[in-house]
Amino acid sequence: MKYAKRLLCLLPGLLWLQQSIAQEIRVNGVVTSRTDAQRVPGAIIQVKGTGHGTQSDADGKYTINANLRDTLQFSFLGFQTAFVVVSNNRIINVSLENSDSKLQEVVVTALGISREKKSLGYAMQELKSKDFSEAKETNLVNALSGKIAGVQVTNSQGNLGSSRIVIRGETSIAGNNQPLFVLDGVPVDNSQLGIGTGRDFANAISDINPDDVASISVLKGPNAAALYGSRASNGVILIKTKTGKDTNGGIGVTVTSGATFDKLLILPDFQNSYGQGNGGQFSYKDGKGGGINDGVDESWGPKLDGRLIPQFFSNGQLAPFVAHPNNVKDFYVTGYTLNNGLSVGGTNEKLDYRFSYNNTKQAGILPNTGITRNTFTASNTFRITPKLTLSTYADYVRSAADNLPGVDGRRGNSVTLQFIWFGRQVDVSQLKNYKNADGTDYNWNHSYYSNPYWIQNENTVGMLRNRFLGNARLSYQVLDWLSANLRIGTDYYQDRRKYKVAYYTNGTPFGSYTEDAYTVGETNGEFTLNAKKKLGSDFSLDALIGGNLRTNQFEQNYQQAPKLAVRDVYTLNNSRDPLISTSLLTKQKVYSGFASAQVGFRNYAFVNLTARNDWSSTLPAGSNSYFYPSVNGSLVLSEALHIQSKTITLLKVRGGWAQVGKDTDPYQLVNTYPFNQPFGALPQLTVSDKFLKKDLKPEITTSTEVGVEAGFFDNRARLDVTYYNSNSRNQILLADVSPTTGYLKKLLNAGEINNHGIEVMLGLTPVTTRSGFRWDVNINYARNVSKVIELDKEGFLNDYVLGSSGNIQVLASKGKQYGALYGKAYLRDDQNRIVVNADGTPGIDPNKKVLGYYTPKWTGGINNNFSFKGFNVSFLIDTKQGGSIWSGTNATGMGTGVLAATMPGRDAEHGGLPYYNDGTKNVQLPDNNATAPNGAPAKHDGMIFDGYTADGKKNTTVISAQNYYKAVYSSNLNESAVYDASFVKLREIKLGYTLPKSLISKWKLQAVNIALVARNLGYLHKNTPNIDPETAFNTGNGQGLETLQIPTTRSYGFNLNVSF
Amino acid sequence: MKKLLIPFYILFTTALLAGCQKDLERVNKNPNEPTTIQPDYLLTNGIKSNVDTYWGPDASMETSILYVQYWAKIQYPDPDRYIPAATNIQNVWSNFYAQGVEDFTTLAQLGDSLHNPNYKAVAVIMRSWIFQVLTDLYGDVPYTQSANIEKYLTPKYDSQRVVYNGILTELKGAVKLISETDNGIQGDPLLNGNMRNWKKFANGLRLRIALRIADRDYAAAKAVFDDVAAEGNVLLTANDGDVKLLYQSSPNQNPVGRNRETRNDYRISKTIVDKLKALNDPRLSIYAAQPKDTNIIIGVTNGLTPDSASRLGFTKTADAGTVFTATQAPAYLFTYAEQLFILSEAAQRNLISGDAAGLYKQAITASFKQYGVVGLVVDAYLAQPAVAYDVTNYKKSIGEQKWLALFGEGLEAFAEWRRLDYPQLKPAYTGVLNGKMPVRLPYPSSEQALNGTNYKAAVANQGPDLLTTKVWFDVY
Repeated sequence: MKYAKRLLCLLPGLLWLQQSIAQEIRVNGVVTSRTDAQRVPGAIIQVKGTGHGTQSDADGKYTINANLRDTLQFSFLGFQTAFVVVSNNRIINVSLENSDSKLQEVVVTALGISREKKSLGYAMQELKSKDFSEAKETNLVNALSGKIAGVQVTNSQGNLGSSRIVIRGETSIAGNNQPLFVLDGVPVDNSQLGIGTGRDFANAISDINPDDVASISVLKGPNAAALYGSRASNGVILIKTKTGKDTNGGIGVTVTSGATFDKLLILPDFQNSYGQGNGGQFSYKDGKGGGINDGVDESWGPKLDGRLIPQFFSNGQLAPFVAHPNNVKDFYVTGYTLNNGLSVGGTNEKLDYRFSYNNTKQAGILPNTGITRNTFTASNTFRITPKLTLSTYADYVRSAADNLPGVDGRRGNSVTLQFIWFGRQVDVSQLKNYKNADGTDYNWNHSYYSNPYWIQNENTVGMLRNRFLGNARLSYQVLDWLSANLRIGTDYYQDRRKYKVAYYTNGTPFGSYTEDAYTVGETNGEFTLNAKKKLGSDFSLDALIGGNLRTNQFEQNYQQAPKLAVRDVYTLNNSRDPLISTSLLTKQKVYSGFASAQVGFRNYAFVNLTARNDWSSTLPAGSNSYFYPSVNGSLVLSEALHIQSKTITLLKVRGGWAQVGKDTDPYQLVNTYPFNQPFGALPQLTVSDKFLKKDLKPEITTSTEVGVEAGFFDNRARLDVTYYNSNSRNQILLADVSPTTGYLKKLLNAGEINNHGIEVMLGLTPVTTRSGFRWDVNINYARNVSKVIELDKEGFLNDYVLGSSGNIQVLASKGKQYGALYGKAYLRDDQNRIVVNADGTPGIDPNKKVLGYYTPKWTGGINNNFSFKGFNVSFLIDTKQGGSIWSGTNATGMGTGVLAATMPGRDAEHGGLPYYNDGTKNVQLPDNNATAPNGAPAKHDGMIFDGYTADGKKNTTVISAQNYYKAVYSSNLNESAVYDASFVKLREIKLGYTLPKSLISKWKLQAVNIALVARNLGYLHKNTPNIDPETAFNTGNGQGLETLQIPTTRSYGFNLNVSF
Repeated sequence: MKKLLIPFYILFTTALLAGCQKDLERVNKNPNEPTTIQPDYLLTNGIKSNVDTYWGPDASMETSILYVQYWAKIQYPDPDRYIPAATNIQNVWSNFYAQGVEDFTTLAQLGDSLHNPNYKAVAVIMRSWIFQVLTDLYGDVPYTQSANIEKYLTPKYDSQRVVYNGILTELKGAVKLISETDNGIQGDPLLNGNMRNWKKFANGLRLRIALRIADRDYAAAKAVFDDVAAEGNVLLTANDGDVKLLYQSSPNQNPVGRNRETRNDYRISKTIVDKLKALNDPRLSIYAAQPKDTNIIIGVTNGLTPDSASRLGFTKTADAGTVFTATQAPAYLFTYAEQLFILSEAAQRNLISGDAAGLYKQAITASFKQYGVVGLVVDAYLAQPAVAYDVTNYKKSIGEQKWLALFGEGLEAFAEWRRLDYPQLKPAYTGVLNGKMPVRLPYPSSEQALNGTNYKAAVANQGPDLLTTKVWFDVY
């Protein structure tokens, strides 16, 4: 016993002895950047396999103690990590390659595993901090648009609100098609809560502060993401946050400050020749039909030629009827984003630490809208012992808004609705004092709308979201090739919303008040064992086995005072009627076990295997367990065949096959009976309108992909091509069924959809000079073809309804491409000519037709980047080609006569035909000066629809311009408002400047970056008049429909980054 | 040591997995809604929600009530020009099938499983009433295969003859099921659980449908009248038996009242105002409200263009009377007056024996009484030559007076006007049907996608899916 104790006591000494036997030497050198030969301060130099490291100083110099044959690892953000084995040479100068040259790039893959990119058997793309933090999109999703092949982003309306992201097309017919977001290995929520409430709430990922993000990896499909299981079939977006290592040295303080200003990009083109009214008549009395057409909310009224007409502001007196061409434009204000942040970070042998605070204040382009976000993060890594590491990450986000913009064209909260149903003479600035002394509203119209300023200032919706994202990871190096990891992560938020509708609001005379509160939480606990071992001299093994327990909880409490008792007091107690209340609680649990292994051969051939089994609470006992494997491999031909040269720097082929299972939402198995509000004292329960399914099976997505990566001419040309084919079957669809079944929806478990496509990324460096000038071009292209194979087993259903607006529906139809726009079309004869009715209006086919598909043919982007010394200029152009959109703004605005496009034919000056009405029909007159017989008034707003009568004759029936446009853009005819949604957009221009070290080191600064950024500058090409083809209702699958969008914005801003 | 541990591990893992399995099932139990239902709650919901649809904007205010020219639109007049909105057509269909037919089918099954045939009878009567309204409006509709989703995901459309005959049989069966002495029912805001009144309502519906098919199948119609007589002629005998839903204060207000709280789109039609005036009908001041600015009741012509409609002036034209627009106004499903008109016509056509003219007068008297008009004024009205029963043209007499009596009941009036072709209405002023009037509603366009094959078969059987295609009962 005594011996043993002594032996133990000796142990540290022995270890010390062993260390000292290895010859420790002092190495020093300079770290520079290969592209511009600038010295790199703050680079991290570590002795591989130990926790031991240092940083380069302001001049890029470093000193470190290491042993002979140790490997030194040089890493710095934006550069490839370099490895140098310590030999007798004590001066090691390292020139770091920009990381986009992709040779030895190390990337983060599923479950946070770092892998050399060359070992991967699937396509993945990574964005580094500077790719998105300079441009300062507040919604992180928007920062990805145009930069990554196969990623499609649908923008927010206005400058606040939600954005939708889809990778490689829609794989789920009905379910969520957006990728899973994973923050430091822990899934985080990206729901858009409150769709359909008439407000565009931002999707939840917009809570993440781009300044805290070190890199974003996009795993594009099941092949890359199989390890994430259930939710990975739409791909995964891995977000790696910054740690103490991502600082620039010095005292580790970075201050960022930026401002961005948002101006209107697309506003409908309005006409300014005719004002409010109908048939050329208008006179104001009470704004609700008391005068002549004064309740009419259209602009088919008198000419805006200064004639004298009583108007809403003139108290019955005559006032000149004149145009206010900027009346709508002037209602909007300049939106802005102010972004200020501070971070402190550093690293030493025991600890990496980083704290950050960010304040982002956004103001919308609609008056009195905006949101403020405060983010606090703390990220720490404690190297407790050389073998035991604890990493923690905590992020608290508080998003608060007093009012968010209204969407969906509801009269109580949407101003775009009344601007498209408008009197063009209305001077909006006269409406600014929106309230009368008696509390009612002052407006141009009282039959349907409230004053737009009233809507913005009185009918508000506030939100307050408190969100906590956190995780802790304990990692223990059991053996030098084996480590054990335990990670617990949570994403928890409460989101409270308060909807106010003021007393005297048109349509809601008593107003209303609603409180809606959500509590959303997800917790993941995960344990993994990781093994990394050289097997002989040729083989290497990198394997992992583990388990995960996920719990999700969602709660909603909704209460509404449907009619206020007292005006201007917003509390649930203030109610005339019984409160309307609902509550909803859902829970879900998934147990998982998984394993993965990578076997490498001589560092040029790799095979990757994964397997996962999930047990989900949402599926019935007996079929709630589902297993899915994946395999992929990569072969670096350039190394294997020893053909690596200046000409061929890299040649790699890869391929893989993967399967992913997917469960469903909670409570989809047993039919239930929903409550309706009691009828007096009688409670009411009804049969649900959804018919559920007891024996649900998991969805299975099977995906194959192959690809080639190549680098040529000293890597000045880089190519990455991928072909993929994925099939999702057993899809769980809550399908619309004929109501005659007794239900509106039935849960099906049979849907199948196929997506295949190609992605190409081409990087070029046409010019690079010794003086440091470099020009990079990055081109991406993606084409996805989708086909709906089956909806239900029995083959009853041919169409699944994804979304609708009036008569137009978005369908997934059997045997067809996903996302058909299905609506009312012109009636055509056998020669495909439009048939015109006897009254001169175009005929409408009683059968609906496919009018287009919203899914594009291909998408792409070109980014040009020029760098010279500290300067960096880049511009990004992206495009979407093919795909259609139905525009409610156009359909409505043409019918109401407010759009400039309704000018042709409205008078002789604009080509209107002369005619008169003989009592039964319109008769065309020979010329503009001709008079009509029998004293009938001659009119000059005649138009003839270009078509053929039922008996095949060319149509000659004259109708008034008003009737013409109303008929062509009627709600019963959708074809006229379907447009090609293709566009080419100048997405982003950035000018960045990094001040030279030599200058700033005098000021004791580590780094100073200044960036000027302009986003969404304009369309180089688009085919949709009056609207932005990129926007949509919300983040659901019913895309391709636009209605009354808030104008999108172009933004200009600057950003300053200073590190001390 | 290690060897001992292995079985322990296995045991532990198995126990853990079994525990997990239980846990997963427990987690997926829906805490928000019950999985079983009691019949009274379902009955209340079925009655309330379907009467809402029947009396509300979709089936009545924006469609049938305009077509029979009870009301006209003074704002947004497209529906009044025979351009019905897609959403209205869809709602009628969705609500009646998914809320109505399904709720009552479930209730009928509950009646069986709970051994309370009265619930089943009530469910069948209400469901038959819904099918009658559906087929009246659309013609051929899914009936035999409807509300059986596990068997029929795409129900076929049955011809109107099959639907009427089917519900006649069902109603007969329901009447037989009813027990007036035991098996009380709860949750009945329509007839307050009075099973004899349910019998009367069911028999009234049977006679209503019998007349509907009489032009096509006289023998079948006669058989219904004979059956009802043989069963003891349990029919409404007084106004207080009217089948009506009494609405309550907000949020359970009358759908018309709810509309008038915020909207000002409708006026009483000039057509009915003119008729009431021509007949010195005392119901004029009940059916119509005084305009704000005048004391003359002026109706609005149906189907005006937006500018000419609003030019009439919102304050110079009359809305429907407060009896109809009040928050707590009732919705009528079947009235004593209608019962008498049915009997009058049946007597005229030898479906029963009786005095057609006498029953006609009783019917008008009952209609007056429904609105509190009694006494000499009634006799004076009946004495007018224009009111007197015309044996040579019963369709005119009954058609016009039934139309006046059914004011507010857009759906039934729309069916009876099509069948009797009286009153002779002029098409809406700027109607878009080339001088024709609507004689049915088109199917909701979603059926083309969701039930396409059967939809096409129905169109092939019935004729083009247009407002102008006559349904089967509409012979003349």
